[in-house]
Amino acid sequence: MNSIIPAPIARQPWAMLIPLFVLVGFGAMVLYSAGGGSWEPYADSHLIRFGACLAIAAVITLFGRDFVRFATFPAYGIILVMLVGVEAIGAMGGGSQRWLELGFIRIQPSELMKPAIVVALAKFYDTLPPAMIVSWRALIPAGALIAMPMALVLLQPDLGTALAIAFGGAVVMFLAGLPLKWFALGGAGAAAVAPLAYFFALKDYQQRRVTTFLDPENDPLGDGYHIMQSKIAIGSGGITGKGFNNGSQSHLDYLPEPHTDFVFATMAEEWGLLGGILVIVIFGLILRWGMQVARNTEDRFARLLAAGMVATIFFYVAINLLMVMGFAPVVGIPLPFMSHGGSSMLTNMMCIGALMMVNRWNREAPRARFA
Amino acid sequence: MNALTISTAISSGRVQLVTLRRRSLLMARMRVLLIALLFASVALVAVMRIAFLGLSDRATSFTSLEEALLPPRGEITDRNGVPLARAFPAYALWYNPEALGDPDNPLVKSPREIAAELKTIFPEIDADEVAEKLASGKRGYLRRRVLPEEANRVQEIGELALELPRETERHYPQGSMAAHVLGYVDADGNGHVGMEKVLDERLSDPARRAEPVALSIDTRVQGALEDELRRGMLATNAAGAAGVVLDVDTGEIMALASLPDFDPNAIDAEGAENMYSRVTSEVYELGSTFKPITVAAAIDAGTVRDFGKRYQANQPLKFGRFSIRDSHDLGASLNVPQSLIHSSNIVTGQIADELGAERLRRTMMDLGMNEKPYVELPATGKPIWPGEKWARVRNVTVSYGHGISVTPLHLASAYAALVNGGVWRPSTLHKLDPRDIPKGRRVFKASTSYRMRQLLRLIAIYGTGRNADAEGYRVGGKTGSAEKAVGGRYSRKLLVSTFAAAFPMDKPRYVVVAMLDEPKGTTASSFQRTAAWNAAPIVGRLVPRVGPLLGVMPDDTRDVDISDLRPLLPEANR
Repeated sequence: MNSIIPAPIARQPWAMLIPLFVLVGFGAMVLYSAGGGSWEPYADSHLIRFGACLAIAAVITLFGRDFVRFATFPAYGIILVMLVGVEAIGAMGGGSQRWLELGFIRIQPSELMKPAIVVALAKFYDTLPPAMIVSWRALIPAGALIAMPMALVLLQPDLGTALAIAFGGAVVMFLAGLPLKWFALGGAGAAAVAPLAYFFALKDYQQRRVTTFLDPENDPLGDGYHIMQSKIAIGSGGITGKGFNNGSQSHLDYLPEPHTDFVFATMAEEWGLLGGILVIVIFGLILRWGMQVARNTEDRFARLLAAGMVATIFFYVAINLLMVMGFAPVVGIPLPFMSHGGSSMLTNMMCIGALMMVNRWNREAPRARFA
Repeated sequence: MNALTISTAISSGRVQLVTLRRRSLLMARMRVLLIALLFASVALVAVMRIAFLGLSDRATSFTSLEEALLPPRGEITDRNGVPLARAFPAYALWYNPEALGDPDNPLVKSPREIAAELKTIFPEIDADEVAEKLASGKRGYLRRRVLPEEANRVQEIGELALELPRETERHYPQGSMAAHVLGYVDADGNGHVGMEKVLDERLSDPARRAEPVALSIDTRVQGALEDELRRGMLATNAAGAAGVVLDVDTGEIMALASLPDFDPNAIDAEGAENMYSRVTSEVYELGSTFKPITVAAAIDAGTVRDFGKRYQANQPLKFGRFSIRDSHDLGASLNVPQSLIHSSNIVTGQIADELGAERLRRTMMDLGMNEKPYVELPATGKPIWPGEKWARVRNVTVSYGHGISVTPLHLASAYAALVNGGVWRPSTLHKLDPRDIPKGRRVFKASTSYRMRQLLRLIAIYGTGRNADAEGYRVGGKTGSAEKAVGGRYSRKLLVSTFAAAFPMDKPRYVVVAMLDEPKGTTASSFQRTAAWNAAPIVGRLVPRVGPLLGVMPDDTRDVDISDLRPLLPEANR
């Protein structure tokens, strides 16, 4: 093996990359079908974006440990300022705005914030002495780090992204070793606040999404439409599906957003239970590789960073799957690597890049033996 | 482990640090495990949910727009494209008490008023009964079939609870014609009895149902056959009648009728009783119509070489306790043509005896008499076949059509082989493309077949078949009047009268078999019950009606050449 394949290629994390390529290719096939059996407008741009984001991930891989440690808080600050900027522009222009127009590229700072919050919290807990993990000093600054971007994103309003930021941060806090009772208290608090938030913080259409999720059949042609059609699409696929390019739910436009949020339903209609299991197994392979990267590092910062990135990808996958299956409200979270959309591809590939970076660190400084 | 053993030697602060480090490591692992468990449980929930959605009854059947535009069930036509069965969208009148959204007050007007208004649209309904149905608040059909203009008038009543759902109806535009061939379609859309059952899959297949299926039947011939059979049946007060017109060269069934019949448009108890077909489902001893087959087998085998040879005809044939006799004395002796013209059991028995049981058995098997008839219909009758080893007496009784029971369709196929040059072919109800015509199997030599044309023609000119001899159509055929076996004994009163014929005998094209089940002696049949007086006239009237339709024109200048046999018949020279 070594003699044939050059070492720089052989040492790449193929255990993750091959499933990833398969998944993106499969996603392109589904998008080809969702585009009415055509490369345009979805499948071709999906592959091009993946290529571009793969390049970005490759660049991230090359970052050194010290550089990342050094750049963490400044980057977090810049993104926070961008979020404020988005709010300001939105307030001036009227209505909600989520992106910054930089001329050559459109940036959604809330997307960048998802990996950034993970890195920032990892850095924070790395610098915190282990003995202080049970004290309030472990909680308050971290809570502020999470709360600021969350509040700004909620103002947009983008509930899905705000929850993703909170989830990524919470997983890092959990792995950092904060006392379990705090999480129990937090959960209880959230349960108490949720009804208040529902009535006072959520906008009308967000409230409807929640009620609809609880009883989609209540209004099958109105607010329950998305979930009903999605469940019909998945159900009509049966075991083997209707076959490539034969999905009536997506082709006849019954299914809303067949190329973005409901791409899994589009896939399941045409590829059935087997396709669904394939997608879930591939996500399982990628996430397991990510957890192994986190486990193999002896460095606390790198471990929290890697685990947080895995959690961020997982949050996308889990919420999207549960949403299209009717187990979660329609919150507009796409399926990583399969849905058509630049922001989610960029975010998730940045997470992958960060994981490959930690993987490279592990390779160059082998894991120290634990006692 | 090392840390623990060393720990006693070092300061307590360091011990604390080590245990803290160990504890936090353990906790970190536990927490990673918890997160992994969370991931796994979400994956498990997702897989189970897809499996539930995919495997539960949500799996909807796939219907495309193209499919929706096709007729719900394919058409059946005759061989010329005349529709025999078609899908026909219709309305029904359905009472839906929930339509108004107020279960307590399902109607705007009072039930009595609405019933009165419905009565003006459908005068035959019982207004009280309908009012009662409406008042009961239970949903259900008020009427199964509503015409479009009636549907409009029902809409004008303005009651939301009166719904007019569209339903598809199988419509048989020819009424009861060819009912046994077609069968019917039940309320669930499944075909029964006839070709509707046979072609069920083909007719409901979206890929093929746009194309009508053509049967071998010709409606014009079918109509004439049913008409003549019905006339014959009513004239002789018979319990039933059966008939078939068969193309001798292809095996296609041009017409097939069994009476009494049923109306596939409206199945009732009486109709359901008449669904068995006398042509294909019921087996009969068909009597003397078997004699030509025996003679043909004997000519073919060479045991009959001299048509002038005379056989004794007034001494009953004795086989043990059985004695075989004729219905009346036909004279001291008869030659072969005479034996057929007068239908002598005694002479045919002697010919069969000379032929031998095995050779007659083989001929019968070659003609398919030991198997169910070859036709697509689902319910076909199994012949009562005498089995492997035939006793001498069995051979003799089979030679004149007793001790063997077959369907009239068996007989028609056998007659086709007798006259078409000697080739037996399976009969079919599908219209055959010329290249699909089966090769068939040779049963008789062509020369034998030619002799049979002469002999059958002689019977129609001089013998019992004279009533079938339609002017100019060169009909040839044989009568058969068999006593019906009732409870193991032959009944003297109940007969099965058959006439098996073919035309035109100079170049046979079609076989016609007409059978009357239990005809009575009436004035119309000159108080006779035998086939010469009731079955033969049916053929005699039918052939002129269908001949021109089938391309056989009456022609006095043509006929099969019988000049070599005529001198043997004193009847011909009288």
